[in-house]
Amino acid sequence: MVLTTPGVATLRRDPDQRALGDAETADAALAASGDGRAFERLYRAHVARVHSLVRRMVGPDHADDIAQDVFVRAWTKLGTFRGEAAFGTWLHRVAVNVILARRTTLGTERSRYVDSADVLDGVAGRAAAPELSMDFEEAIGRLPDGARQVFVLHDVEGYRHEEIADMLGIVAGTSKSQLHHARMALRRHLER
Amino acid sequence: MNDQWTARLSEYLDGELAPAEQTALEAHLVSCDACRTTLEELRRVVTNARALDDRPPAADLWPAVAARIGVSSRLKARPVVRRLSFTVPQLAAASVVLALLSGSAAWLIVRRGTAPTPPVLVSERAPALRNASAYPGDVRFDAQVADLERALARGRGRLDTATVRVIERNLRIIDRAIRGAQSALAADPANSYLNLHLAQEMRRKLELLRQAATLAGARS
Repeated sequence: MVLTTPGVATLRRDPDQRALGDAETADAALAASGDGRAFERLYRAHVARVHSLVRRMVGPDHADDIAQDVFVRAWTKLGTFRGEAAFGTWLHRVAVNVILARRTTLGTERSRYVDSADVLDGVAGRAAAPELSMDFEEAIGRLPDGARQVFVLHDVEGYRHEEIADMLGIVAGTSKSQLHHARMALRRHLER
Repeated sequence: MNDQWTARLSEYLDGELAPAEQTALEAHLVSCDACRTTLEELRRVVTNARALDDRPPAADLWPAVAARIGVSSRLKARPVVRRLSFTVPQLAAASVVLALLSGSAAWLIVRRGTAPTPPVLVSERAPALRNASAYPGDVRFDAQVADLERALARGRGRLDTATVRVIERNLRIIDRAIRGAQSALAADPANSYLNLHLAQEMRRKLELLRQAATLAGARS
């Protein structure tokens, strides 16, 4: 599987952070030469972003472990970072790779991408009852694995359906269908 | 509400329908309240998704990451109390030391004729404390600052103008924060928060200068 560049900005950053991109490139170069302090600076700048991505993709139970794996993998792969894209974009690709690789061990495999709205009924049904005020992010977490991952990759992270299909090993039509089902379920959790 | 167009609303929202389908759906929306309502809700879902805030983990993962990759956690190891112990006079004293070091560095560079550009890459509006150490009294740290300035002076000509603009713009931002903290401290010298804030901003500036020097060296 080859990860492509997301269709929309993968890391939403404020102008100041973008302006410091060169500094991060320098830190990445230092880290690649073994500078732990430089890598810690990169970790602290991106840990919230990475952890949030992991948490949304696989749920909170394994988020800490997988986020650690992301940074360990990034450390070992720093030599492949050429500075052609922002460090955050490169790290994001590493994170998605790690997350998708862990899907198998977590039981989120291709068979979970069933093109059916039935599995989403539970999410919508729960929302109609006493948990109407459920946090939007918590509602995302209650989506079935396939719908949740497509929703996060498309609507939160900005990937296109073709890219998601390539990552997840599904067809683009399934990605579109899962996205629509996820959105239909989540609309019931909107604040009134 | 579950007509033939409901399942196509997300594709419509994402601009992925064929022109003919889009025209047909828009004609349908004129007469279908339910689809219009659903479309608006889907639009809000997308808006919410794009507005999600990132949250850090509840516990710091760095110690575990550092252990796994075999590096120490030096940034975290700095004792916080040390940052809280700064006073304006201490910072001013450090600025004097650094000014001397900077002047000596500039003199040496000019004397050797090896500096194609000014020795310090900072805004002309930078305050007197612009190169003061975030850790006053730490001679080794001060020496690193002087080294940094020499390295940056040597490499500045190798940076492209866009990079220099970015660096200078960020230095101005940090300088403004430093001046603001200094002004506030003048009225409340014992305020530990302000002392910490000033120290952090000064450290931030030093980090940026260091990274800029590294970048200049990396492109040589």
